[in-house]
Amino acid sequence: MIQFLKLRKNFKAGAVIAGILLFMALLSLFWTPYDPEKMDAAHKLAGLSLAHPMGCDNFGRDILSRVMTGLRTTVVIAVGTVLIGAFFGSIVGSLTGYFGGSFDEIVMRINDVLLAFPAVLLALVMVSLLGGGKYNVILALGIAFVPSFARMVRGEFLRCKDLDYVKNARLQGAGHMRVIFVHILPNVMPVILSSVLIGFNNAVLAEAGMSYLGIGVQPPDASLGRMLSEAQGYLYGAPWYALFPGLILVLLILGVSLMGNE
Amino acid sequence: MMQENRSKEMILEVKDLNIAFHDHTLPETVVVDVDLQVYEGDMLGIVGESGSGKTMTALAINGLLNRHDIQKKGEITYKGVDLLTCARNELRQIQGNDISIIFQEPMTSLDPVQKIGRQVEEPLRLHEKLSEETYKERALEALRLVELPSPEEIYERYPHELSGGQRQRVMIAAAMICKPRILIADEPTTALDVTIQEQIVELLKKLNQNEKTAILFISHDLSLVRKLCSKVAVMKDGYVVEAGDTEEIFRNPRHAYTKELIAAIPAIGVKEYEKKSDEIIVSARNLNSYYPARTGKLFGKRKKVQILKDVSFDLYKGEILGLVGESGCGKSTLSKVLLGMVKDTEGSFVNKDAHPQMVFQDPYGSLNPGKTIGWILQEPLRNFTDLSDTICEEKARNMLKRVGLSEELMDRYPNQLSGGQRQRVCIGAALMAEPGFLIADEPVSALDVHIQEQVLSLLKELHDQIGVSILFISHDLRVVYRVCDRVMIMKEGRIIESGVTDEVFLHPKEEYTRQLLRTSGFLDENVV
Repeated sequence: MIQFLKLRKNFKAGAVIAGILLFMALLSLFWTPYDPEKMDAAHKLAGLSLAHPMGCDNFGRDILSRVMTGLRTTVVIAVGTVLIGAFFGSIVGSLTGYFGGSFDEIVMRINDVLLAFPAVLLALVMVSLLGGGKYNVILALGIAFVPSFARMVRGEFLRCKDLDYVKNARLQGAGHMRVIFVHILPNVMPVILSSVLIGFNNAVLAEAGMSYLGIGVQPPDASLGRMLSEAQGYLYGAPWYALFPGLILVLLILGVSLMGNE
Repeated sequence: MMQENRSKEMILEVKDLNIAFHDHTLPETVVVDVDLQVYEGDMLGIVGESGSGKTMTALAINGLLNRHDIQKKGEITYKGVDLLTCARNELRQIQGNDISIIFQEPMTSLDPVQKIGRQVEEPLRLHEKLSEETYKERALEALRLVELPSPEEIYERYPHELSGGQRQRVMIAAAMICKPRILIADEPTTALDVTIQEQIVELLKKLNQNEKTAILFISHDLSLVRKLCSKVAVMKDGYVVEAGDTEEIFRNPRHAYTKELIAAIPAIGVKEYEKKSDEIIVSARNLNSYYPARTGKLFGKRKKVQILKDVSFDLYKGEILGLVGESGCGKSTLSKVLLGMVKDTEGSFVNKDAHPQMVFQDPYGSLNPGKTIGWILQEPLRNFTDLSDTICEEKARNMLKRVGLSEELMDRYPNQLSGGQRQRVCIGAALMAEPGFLIADEPVSALDVHIQEQVLSLLKELHDQIGVSILFISHDLRVVYRVCDRVMIMKEGRIIESGVTDEVFLHPKEEYTRQLLRTSGFLDENVV
C-alpha cells in the first residue's frame, strides 16, 4: 500500500513537472514575453531582472522567450522522433516476431547492424547527407530509433504468439493481419507506451546533442541544445545564459522519467 | 480401528490452530480452529482443494511458518513441547529429526550442485555427530530403504542425472535418514507419472508398516487417500469439516462437501452406449508427426523426434471421443495436427468441418486480456459470417445465458472473471459459430473439483443440444468416464487401446490401461 502511494507520488510529481514545461512550450505558440529573435544591443548579456527574469544573451535577446520557443522545438522533435520510431518499429517488430523464420532472420540481422551503431551517430551520418534543419533531424533520429523499438516489440510478439488466445483467434477465423493488429498489438501497447516515454528522453538528449554540435536545428531557430552551444563562450561572464536552458532540459527529462517509472 | 488407536501413544496434537496472513490491509485467515491428533504409526490423510489450508497446516507443524507477517494461534504439541512458541534451537532439534517433510515437486526440492549422497546425509549431519563412514553407511541404508537400485552409484550422482520418481525417492530417503516419528508428505505423487505414483504410494505404505513412522499424507485425491490412510481429515476453506475413520467417512459422509467429493468418484458399469450416427466427421489414418530436435549447431543435419506413431481413428457425428494419456504422450500434438497447426506430418486425415474449434486447458491464457467478453464472443461471427453488429451482439448475449452466465458480463474483461466463468466463456466462444467438430484439451484440469463438475455438466448439456462432435483430451480418467462415449488410450504417441467407454474401463486389455485405472481409483473395491 505504502509502495503504491509512493509510486503514485512519483508519477504525480513527474506529471506536474512535465505538464508545466509542456504548457510553456504551447504558450510560446501564442505569446512570449519578447520576440525571441529580436536583438537589442542595449541589453547585451544583461543579468537577471524583473524585465528579463532569465537574463539576455549575447545579442540582447530575452532568454526566457528563447527557452520557451527552444523547448517547443525540442519537444516537437522528440515527439516526432519517437512517433516515427515507435510506429515503424512496431510494424517491423510485429511482423518479424509473428511470422518468424527466414524473413525474421534477415530483417533482424539488418536490425542488429543498425543497433550496433549508437542512434546519435547514425543520425549524424544521415543529417550530414540530408542536411540540417528541424524536419531532417526528426527524420534522421526517427529512423535511428526504429531498431530498438522493433527489437522490443518483436520480443513481446514472440511471447504472445504462442499463447492460447492467439491460437484461438486463428481458429475463430481471424487472418494473420487481424491477429497481429487486433488481437496481439493492443496487449503489447502498455510496453510500447512505457518505452515511448523512455525513448522521448533519449530523443530529447539526442536532439540537444546534435544541435549542440551544430548539425541539428539551424539558427536563428532556438532549441535547448543550440542555446547551450551558443552559451559556451559566455560561461564565466553570463552563467545564466547556459544555466536556464540546461535546467529546463534536466527538468524535462526528470519529469518524463518519473512518469515512465510507473 | 478407533479402539486400536487409543491404545497407541499420541505423539502429536494440534489444537485450535489458526493461521492468518498480514500482508494485506485485512488479515486473511487461511486455517481456522484446526484440531488434529497423530498417533504412533498412524497413517492420517488430509484432503482438500488447493487453498483449503492443508499445506499451511503441514508447514506450521514442521515450524516452517516463521515469517513475521504470519499470525499463528493455538497449540501444536510434540513430546510436551509447543512447536509454535518454543525456542528456535529446540525447534531445530525436532525439525528433520523427529518430524520431516517431503514436498510435491521433486524437480526443485533437491540442490542441483550437491551430490545425492551429501544431500541425503545432510539432516543426519545436522542432528548427530558421527564418523564420516557412519554417515555414508546410514545414507546408503536410507537409499536402500527407499528401494533405489544400486545405492552406491546413486550416492555419487547429481540430481539432474535422476528421473522424477528417483528424485522423489531420494527426498524420502533424506527425510527418513534420522528415523523420524512423523513424516509429512505434501502431495508427494502429484507431479509424477501414474506408474511412478503407484510405486511411491507403495513405498510410503511399506515405510509406515516396517519403520512404524506416522505419515501425514496431504492430497487433493480422495481415492488415493482412501487406499493409503486409515484416518482422514477433510478440509475446506481453512476448516476441518469432517474427520475420522476413512472407511466410516466413505460409508457415511456427514458434511455436504465430503459427499460432493465422494460423489465425484464415479461408479462404472452403468453407462449405456448407443452409436449416435454412422456419419464420420473426422477420420485419421496412419498419422505420423515429427518435431525438429535442437542440435545446438547452426549447420549440420537436423534431427527429428517422432511424436505421433501410426495414429488412426474415426470420430462419428455427435459423439464425445475421449483421448487419455499422460503428459508428453502426444495428446496435444494430435489436436494440433487435426487443426492443421503442425506441418511435419505423414498420413492422412479428413476433417469434414471447415472451422473446427478448441477449448484450451488454461482459462487464464485462452481469452484475450485486452478485450471484453462480448467482443470475444462475437469474434467468430465477425470472421465467419456477414451478420450485422446488432445480430452478433444478440447472439453473444444468448450464448452467455446458455453457458449459465449473466448478461452483465458482456462488458467485463477476462481478468474480472473467475476460472470457472472464464472456461464457460471459452466454451461459449467455441460454440458461437456452430462448429461440427470441437476439441476440448483438458478443459477442466485447471479448475477446482466442484467447478469441474459444473463445467462438465455444461459441456455435456450443450453437446446434447447442439450435437457437436467432441474430441475430449484428458489425463483424468474420472472426467473422461463421465463425459465420453468412446475412449482411446495413448502411450508414447501410439493409441494402444480404444473402445466403448465401459468396455475399456471394465475390461482393459493393456497393462498400462490397468495401471492408469488403478491410480484413478477404478478397478478397486468401489467398482459397482
